[in-house]
Amino acid sequence: MNFLDLARIASPEIAVVLGALGALAVDLAQRGRGAGSSRTGAIWVGVASCVVAALILVLGGATGAAPGGMLANGPVVGWIKAILALLTAGTLLLSVRGGFTMHVGEFVATVLLGGVGMMLIASSENVLMMFLALELASVSLYILTGFNKRDPQSGEAALKYFLFGGMAGAFLLFGLSLIYGATGAIEFQGIRARLEGQPAHPLLLAGLVMVLVGLGFKVAAAPFHFWAPDAYQGAPTPAAGFIAAGSKVAAFFILAKFTGMALDEVSGRANWGDFASGWAPILALMAAASMLWGNLAALRQRNVKRLLAYSAVAHAGYTVVAIAAGGSEVVPAVGFYAVTYAFTTLGAFGVAGWVEARTGGTDFEHFAGLSRRSPVAALCLGVFLLSLAGIPPLAGFFGKFFLFLVALNGDAGALGLLWLVGLGTATTCVSFYYYLRLLKVVFVDEIDPRLSTEPGDGSGLIELTTILVAAVVVVVAGCAPALLLNPLGLTATVVP
Amino acid sequence: MNPIVPHLIVAVLLFAIGMTGALARRNAILTLVGIEIMLNAANLSFVVFWRFGPNPDPQTGLMFALFSIAVAAAEAAVGLALIIVLFRHRRTTSLDAADSMKG
Repeated sequence: MNFLDLARIASPEIAVVLGALGALAVDLAQRGRGAGSSRTGAIWVGVASCVVAALILVLGGATGAAPGGMLANGPVVGWIKAILALLTAGTLLLSVRGGFTMHVGEFVATVLLGGVGMMLIASSENVLMMFLALELASVSLYILTGFNKRDPQSGEAALKYFLFGGMAGAFLLFGLSLIYGATGAIEFQGIRARLEGQPAHPLLLAGLVMVLVGLGFKVAAAPFHFWAPDAYQGAPTPAAGFIAAGSKVAAFFILAKFTGMALDEVSGRANWGDFASGWAPILALMAAASMLWGNLAALRQRNVKRLLAYSAVAHAGYTVVAIAAGGSEVVPAVGFYAVTYAFTTLGAFGVAGWVEARTGGTDFEHFAGLSRRSPVAALCLGVFLLSLAGIPPLAGFFGKFFLFLVALNGDAGALGLLWLVGLGTATTCVSFYYYLRLLKVVFVDEIDPRLSTEPGDGSGLIELTTILVAAVVVVVAGCAPALLLNPLGLTATVVP
Repeated sequence: MNPIVPHLIVAVLLFAIGMTGALARRNAILTLVGIEIMLNAANLSFVVFWRFGPNPDPQTGLMFALFSIAVAAAEAAVGLALIIVLFRHRRTTSLDAADSMKG
């Protein structure tokens, strides 16, 4: 392994970091033009760097592994990273209007650095790299949450996110130190090798619980989700979409990879009436709490961004159900679900930003009669909400189907996790209520005459195109899931 | 006695003190100090396991501690900036003032 090889493996990240520096430089040249639609050079530089990174990854130009599991770009990881790069580009396109800040270049650079953090999370097979990448992504997201300096809620949300995140980071770090102490290794494979055939050391179990607290915070699983509603509501809408989409994909992926790869020996069992200590029962309890809490709390929300936050908690629950089951099919199923969910939620936040730019808010009454004001945006929102609810033939249905299928197939088909899958199905039915209530507001309710419905500055064509692309991805991934499943390595064997 | 044990007890105590501070204090700056103490407890624990553990990979724990010190510094910088944002809007650093979002 020489430096040229290392540079080739890291080339997607290098491209995005160069994009961040280029965005700062371009914005410096344009700083006289004021914010808004005339100052978008930085955004286009950022989007171009993300597209380059995604192309390198898809064409296999960065396949390989650095020593010690610092960077491991297998085929599946490559796909996940390419999608993370595209989600970063989507976030930038949704913030073209940029009404919330004068500092366009800094915003773009922070989004890109966050994107690099998420890509590094996905490819790390070493707990040091995992910790550093998680912190890179998190610190960028704290900054993005507080980017609207004029809005008191933005700063408040960022501070809450930071304080919860800092504590979760400390738990993660202490847990990793205990795992290091119990095994003496920091590579996933090394930890796995040391655990082979050994009885689980109490230190290791304590470390495991603390790591799950830290990662549970990142995926916003109950009871570590308290930051999510405030951060989603207070953050500038594109930043909230980035938190909901990109960071979730990366966090789910690393949670599945860390439990499945490094700690496979201490999985335990979460079967009804047959618990055994390990990560499976902890994750099962977290999943059950998330599905119940997220879906029930979403019922009484009046703000769309807050509603999407509680829906994110519920979706974290569904995903953790499959991770708790363990097995070789977990990574593809979780990958498919996280990717389709990310496009869905990024699109939904795009529509929320679209409405916010025209009516000045994201409460339910701001969405009233959206179908008459902007039929395309309303139709896309319909696609996203029905996909979140899990209506076939949209992607959300197949995502949930694969997750629950993996949960039922685990443990040699003994149906040990049937209780969790049953709970998941039941709470999904509860979730129809709040998704459909929002759709009723959009398609049936009268337009509130007090709201100004002026289009904001600029035509919003770029945002609308991005939202449409996300909607098309959701529909296509639902109608032809094999297009996404085959690169993720989910073979036909899992589907009966 | 295994030398890891007393050192690890100190690390765990530090972590508990930091967590108590972070949870009990209502002032954002003192909460931040609590989080920093928690991170330092983790660093101490890494160094202890590196120094006294039967560790075949030299320097791993030390390297981890060094990196996490750098991360903690970056986090503290962002945290203090966010506390300044809170202060500009509310004229206080008390977390009780950060209550405009509910539900």
